[in-house]
Amino acid sequence: MAREAAVLSPRARASRGLLTCYGLSIYLFLFAPIVLLVLFSFNANTYGSFPITGWTTKWYAQVFGDYQIQDALRTTLKVCLEVTVVSVLLGTAAAFPLVRAGLPFPAGFRVAMTLPIMIPGILIGISLLVLFTQVVKVPLSPSTAVIGQSLYTTPFVLLLVAARLQGFDRNLERAAGDLGANTFNRLRLVVLPLIFPAILAGALFAFTLSFDEFVITYFIIGGYNTLPIYIYTQIRYGITPEVNALASLVLITSIALISLVFIVPAGLRLARRLVVSTRRTRPEALPETVAAREG
Amino acid sequence: MATEEGGGSTSLSLLGRFGGLVPGGVYFGLFFVVPFGLIVCFSFWEDFDYKVIHHWTLDNYRYFFSVPDYVGTMWATLWVALAATAVTLGLAFPFAYWLSRYVPRGLQKLLLVLVIVPFWTSYLLRVYSWLNILGDKGVINSFLTWLGVIDQPLSLLYHRWTVVVVLVYLYFPFGALTLYSSIDRFDWDQLHAAMDLGASPLRALHKILIPQIRPGIVAAVIFVFIPILGEYLAPQIVGGTDGVMMGNLIDEFQKEALYARAASISLLIAAFIVLLLVLFRKSLSAREAYGA
Repeated sequence: MAREAAVLSPRARASRGLLTCYGLSIYLFLFAPIVLLVLFSFNANTYGSFPITGWTTKWYAQVFGDYQIQDALRTTLKVCLEVTVVSVLLGTAAAFPLVRAGLPFPAGFRVAMTLPIMIPGILIGISLLVLFTQVVKVPLSPSTAVIGQSLYTTPFVLLLVAARLQGFDRNLERAAGDLGANTFNRLRLVVLPLIFPAILAGALFAFTLSFDEFVITYFIIGGYNTLPIYIYTQIRYGITPEVNALASLVLITSIALISLVFIVPAGLRLARRLVVSTRRTRPEALPETVAAREG
Repeated sequence: MATEEGGGSTSLSLLGRFGGLVPGGVYFGLFFVVPFGLIVCFSFWEDFDYKVIHHWTLDNYRYFFSVPDYVGTMWATLWVALAATAVTLGLAFPFAYWLSRYVPRGLQKLLLVLVIVPFWTSYLLRVYSWLNILGDKGVINSFLTWLGVIDQPLSLLYHRWTVVVVLVYLYFPFGALTLYSSIDRFDWDQLHAAMDLGASPLRALHKILIPQIRPGIVAAVIFVFIPILGEYLAPQIVGGTDGVMMGNLIDEFQKEALYARAASISLLIAAFIVLLLVLFRKSLSAREAYGA
């Protein structure tokens, strides 16, 4: 690339400059709305919009003092945790046969798996609403929302864990078996440490998706509020600075959560390397050495 | 685990091999397949006095196609989905080209991650944030007023095109990622070779580039067009009464407890999705479109 750059014609250089401007303006397009939202949340103006009359954090103080928001936050966290547990269990369990069992229609399974991600959420929402209210007659609650959200988050865990299992050398497991490890110990000492990063990433994805989920939840949570549902009920009456502040907090939380997906595996690798190097002489360190080498 | 070599055939070993699929399969069946079957049935049943009567009829569909507003909304939904998909791909193509050709390798990964970051933030808030930009007191109107270009705020919200703009914003990451992965694999020297051999630039694009990146284009179309067919939040928040789409009709009907009507519109959306997948089935080798 560098060599190419040296011999670029003026025309090529111009098109390169133009494209770079274009690329950067795309990032402006992607991030300006988010950045402006955060900016407005510190605006003293009570209309939550221009002009910026001064800087204040009082909207944030209002957010933290609002018991409705506290209530919505509690519901959100409860739903997120349940969704994460459900999707990690279902997704991880299904990843093993998907990769290893030699299923008859692998392509069909892949399509079926991605369907809940691909089809519009409104179809999942309305069909579960019909199931819950018209057929089985259970009252709508955060629990019904957990059922709907997990449908959408589980495929993410499944895809991540399956990808990890695909690149997994099964001889490691066989070696552990030859060395006398039973099924449970092979799972605990060899397989789980190796696929743990994928499970963790899947859990973080599931948690973040659930934290922000609106489209499905709206139909099947009944009278309860998660944070997105609460924000929705507020913005129907227009922009308020308090909602801007709450929205900024929600945005920053999800960006922080998703950054963990990129930061945690690196940190984990580092930690494991440290542990292994201090414990190298002890026999039970063996599977971890294997894991560190593989990861 | 003696069966891992594929030798055993006892029921226990079968359970060991396929057992992991059982919880997920039951869950998927109970809460995805069954509800969808219900939607199919409900769409051919009848709403009566806030109850759904199990009487098979095509009335829901007859009713839908007899109301010009609903039919108009259906065409508008298809039009908005088409326009938003076209603009998204049109914007994403030069972007993916730039990223793949002009950005140093080391930086590419970071920039790709940055494209995905907005996708992982709240969908509701990404829609909401546009109120701050397009509203009467929003960024654009304030800026133009400050410049003295206008003295009355422009009406930027609550049009069809507003919905298209916001949808492009929402779905750009999908378009950019799928196009990038196929453009990045393309060998650009082939294009030069074709032109050296006398092909016009357009012919070279048509014969060399497009066929090779077709899987990426198809995947992008599918991942942008299909979800947009079911949009209801963006049209409601930034589109108002002018921006109504089929998803809003579903929402309106379910609020009035007219579940059979809502189901029939859901099935229409599903039918469009199936139609699209059938149209693209040749280009849709499952491996390319769904590969991880």
